[in-house]
Amino acid sequence: MSDEPRSPLGPGPDLQTEGMELGADPEMLELQADAATTGEDHELSAESRKQQETKADAAAALEQKRQRRYLIKALLRSPTFMIGLVVVLFWVFMAAFSMYLTQSPTAQNASASLQGPSAAHWFGTDDLGRDVFARTMAGARSVLIIAPLATVLALLWGGIIGLIAGFYRGVTDEIIMRGIDVLLALPIIITSILILSLLGKGTAIIIIAIGALFTPVVSRTVRAAVIGEREREYVMAARLRGERSGFVMAREILPNITQPIIVEGTIRLGYAVFTAATLSFLGFGLAPPSPDWGLTIANERIFLQIAPWTVLFPAAALASLVVGVNLITDGLGRVFSR
Amino acid sequence: MLRLIGRRLLLMVPTLILASLLIFALAEVLPGDVGRSILGPYATQEQVQLLNEKLGADRPLVVRYASWAGNFVTGDWGESALQKVPVRPLVLKAFGNSLILAGFALVLIVPTSIVLGMFSGLRRDSVLDRTITVSTLSMTVIPEFVSGVVLLYVFAVWLKWLPVSALPPDGSNFLDRLYYLILPAIPLMFLELGYISRMARVGTVQVLSMPYIRTAVLKGVPRSRVIFGHVLRNAMVPTVTVIGSQVGWLIGGLVVVETLFVYPGVGKLMVDAAKTHDVPVLEASVLMVAIVYMLANLVADIIVALLNPRIRMGG
Repeated sequence: MSDEPRSPLGPGPDLQTEGMELGADPEMLELQADAATTGEDHELSAESRKQQETKADAAAALEQKRQRRYLIKALLRSPTFMIGLVVVLFWVFMAAFSMYLTQSPTAQNASASLQGPSAAHWFGTDDLGRDVFARTMAGARSVLIIAPLATVLALLWGGIIGLIAGFYRGVTDEIIMRGIDVLLALPIIITSILILSLLGKGTAIIIIAIGALFTPVVSRTVRAAVIGEREREYVMAARLRGERSGFVMAREILPNITQPIIVEGTIRLGYAVFTAATLSFLGFGLAPPSPDWGLTIANERIFLQIAPWTVLFPAAALASLVVGVNLITDGLGRVFSR
Repeated sequence: MLRLIGRRLLLMVPTLILASLLIFALAEVLPGDVGRSILGPYATQEQVQLLNEKLGADRPLVVRYASWAGNFVTGDWGESALQKVPVRPLVLKAFGNSLILAGFALVLIVPTSIVLGMFSGLRRDSVLDRTITVSTLSMTVIPEFVSGVVLLYVFAVWLKWLPVSALPPDGSNFLDRLYYLILPAIPLMFLELGYISRMARVGTVQVLSMPYIRTAVLKGVPRSRVIFGHVLRNAMVPTVTVIGSQVGWLIGGLVVVETLFVYPGVGKLMVDAAKTHDVPVLEASVLMVAIVYMLANLVADIIVALLNPRIRMGG
């Protein structure tokens, strides 16, 4: 095999002469001629084609790697992204390890209820004498389990629905999109209250409900991205090669729309944190004695006048997490749109 | 234009039917045995049977849906399972309370976001612009009960400028009522501020790049007249168009703020009904909200069409 950089993805140097078209590529003609002759020759040409494809794949992979490295560098240099990342990572760390670092978030002490912040209790104690610092740190856990899983579900369902609707268009598209729009006939918070009050509480149901309610929006984004890609040459080429629709969707289109999906994912993550916390606050989330922030704010707000620390610390924690996620979204969006 | 409105109104009918089916399905089909869910696990099977017959819950689903939807249209919204009072006055009164709060919040939202957006657009890319953009966006993404408790603490508990309660003592006049609603309205305003002020900013930046503004400035028209004569009007257009699309958020915000401030609106009614499984109240209040939500979206679309001839003609 010659070392000439000739790949099906782009013309080699000798093809850049003016007036030459891809169809007039002498090697292509040769290949076609080969294919028309004996089986032995055919096999040979198939093998050489395979080698060429691997080469092209390698080149594309290298290019992708370079691009990815460039994106990561740009992200590391974005202050909004980095601040958001630090804040979110802090809460992820606390969600995972706070039980080894703080006092127990559920241990009650009736003789030490509603005490102000002190050396023993940095954030004070609540009405049951529980350590507010420990509860605030541990409160990250429930929201950081629910929100990311709900987002993943929404991306999965929305991704599949969006791919199918955008790829097939026509009647399939119409039916799918109108069908999932019904979920948006009511404001999301109201539909989730309906679902949760009637299906019962529990982490799994909350995750599924938020995931389902975010699916229409995700599928709209994915569908729009697919429609932007489906007329491109590489999709046509794959279809002409005779690839199955599933393959074209999953292996050709999907890798090319990861950026809008990532951005959509972080946007939904912010909303998922918002929605999960709101549902807890309204009483449709977790049950006491969970240190969940929304639940704590709902239960302790009657002490706002005499012991504001019981409410204000979880409130600040929740605010910092939501703002952190949105800073990440903002940073990603800026870098990707460049 | 009329054709557009008519078409949209017609389109609303199937959506509304679907929404009512969704509400009906969630409220009556999913819990399974209606009588059992009302009476609880300790009632005997006969008691459950009896209640089901009395409520008509043993009839086929289609019949139940038809009679429920029919009764709703004719104004018979049933009786609260818990309070034993007719649902319609209950929901309508709560709805009126919500309307006052939401209207007051809107009155705050529109000028605030236009002024903030215009300032940041006029000083584009300055420190002021960045500060306004980042802080309004943060206000928008923070849940309203979080900003609500912080505001309650600062203005009602600490500074004592505003009342803790959202309801004035009986016999107060309308202005007093609004005074008590300032604190609940601000978290609702925060909720919308980021998006709407961003729109006002975009409108400002766009109009500033127009040749006729440059002409006006070069002609020596005073800056204040350029701003109030040209920029303000153009900053308002995109703002007004997006307000309608934010009604869903506003309704969600009402549910939370009414719960936080213990304000007897339709949002709190809905939450309480959902918690106590008061299905007739839940269904009626959710359906009512769905209708308002759709009408608001329709009005928003009509405003957009009025302001944008391309859509108006195309419709």
